[in-house]
Amino acid sequence: MFKYQFRWDVVSGSADFLLSGFQMTLIISAITLVLAMIAGLIIALLDMSKFQPARWLGIGFGEIIRNTPLLVQLLWVYYVLPIVFGVRIEALAALIIGLSLYQGAFIAEVYRSGIQSVPRGHSEAAQVLGLTPVQNFTRIVLPQAIRMTLPPLASNFVQLIKFSSLGAVISVSEITRRGMELSASTFRPLEIFTFIAVVYFVICWPLAMGIRLWERRLQAR
Amino acid sequence: MKGIGFAYALHMTGTPIIVAEGVSKTFGANQVLTRVSLPVMERDVVCVVGPSGSGKTTLLRCIALLETPSEGRIVMQGQAISTPGQERPVKAAARAVRSDIGMVFQHFNLWPHMSVLENLIEAPLRAKKMPKDQAIAIAERLLAKVDLSDKRDAYPARLSGGQQQRVAIARALAMSPKVLLFDEATSALDPELRREVLLVMRQLAQEGMTMLVVTHEMNFARHVGTRTVFMDRGEIVEEAPGSAFFDSPRTERAQRFLQQFEE
Repeated sequence: MFKYQFRWDVVSGSADFLLSGFQMTLIISAITLVLAMIAGLIIALLDMSKFQPARWLGIGFGEIIRNTPLLVQLLWVYYVLPIVFGVRIEALAALIIGLSLYQGAFIAEVYRSGIQSVPRGHSEAAQVLGLTPVQNFTRIVLPQAIRMTLPPLASNFVQLIKFSSLGAVISVSEITRRGMELSASTFRPLEIFTFIAVVYFVICWPLAMGIRLWERRLQAR
Repeated sequence: MKGIGFAYALHMTGTPIIVAEGVSKTFGANQVLTRVSLPVMERDVVCVVGPSGSGKTTLLRCIALLETPSEGRIVMQGQAISTPGQERPVKAAARAVRSDIGMVFQHFNLWPHMSVLENLIEAPLRAKKMPKDQAIAIAERLLAKVDLSDKRDAYPARLSGGQQQRVAIARALAMSPKVLLFDEATSALDPELRREVLLVMRQLAQEGMTMLVVTHEMNFARHVGTRTVFMDRGEIVEEAPGSAFFDSPRTERAQRFLQQFEE
């Protein structure tokens, strides 16, 4: 028999406290989303560069980031970068930098495969017809690549929002951290972390659905 | 250069529009073309035939400026437009004549995210900066010419292979090229769809379009081509006006090649 006495007032009574964490999660996610997409673009361009050292840099960086755990990277950025550069990085900045690079490395792969999925012949046809390399990329390759890129990009966005919870470990006061603090003082982890799980779902699910709908609309053509 | 003199002798009249001069191409250790020379005169319909792997397509891609020759050069109306070094003036000359060279690909290469009309007006709008209504007028005239006016707003995925290739021809014509290159334009099509594409090609030839056609359609080469060029293992083995190549091939390699089509 499950005789647990729910005390949801623990959550509602600290609504402001949790809400400030929720706000922080949203801010971190939004900033990181933009930075990760830019980082991804830079890494992808390095990966596909005709200049070999740039390619090595892009590929090497991407492989290291993709093949080490995010938590370790966050701890590394938070504790090691200050030693190397002699500056104290705030936990929030460390989280944003670490998460942007991590997700950027995955998004770079998404971009690269999207661009490479466009048949070579399509841009050769554009080349023969006299389109410039920039026109070729923006008019012929990119519109097709974006379509291929949307579903994996959506799952990367969702992942990024969820991974922001790791900020709790380096004491960034986003919603998971707030939950840990609240649960330490109230001894009510069940209510608190259930509520927090629902909050993440409520952010992530519509985002994933929205992109899926957009994708379907593009495919209908 | 020997090859050029030979061809001039065959075709005393007319001016060469585009010339491959001693073009060689290697990919790594693989020599695909060996000093191939081929002038294309105005209103010529040059058909390049030969077994697969003989370098026909690579030659065409060099002339279309999609590959850079390892040796030799491509000359258009007296100006080098492609050389192994791709020097600055050569690149500038290539840019200037880029849209004078049209190409039709084996796999059509229509842009799937654009409608038929958008495929046709894209290059005139972007590369020629043509006003939109003028580009549309030209596109509609060309669609009527390839008998696809009703597909104006369709997307390429909705068209048959033959229709896609006719759109691709119209797209190339929209830039009013001086020479049109065909890279096995019917090879990816079912036999019953080839006819409609070959008819359009034949019509273009009759209208005086200068064409360089890499093909396996021996009947087209025989009856429509003004000159047949036979390639094997990266070299031009034999060259003859019109149907002469088919009636009396001089080399043993050409005879063996033609025998395959007799059964």
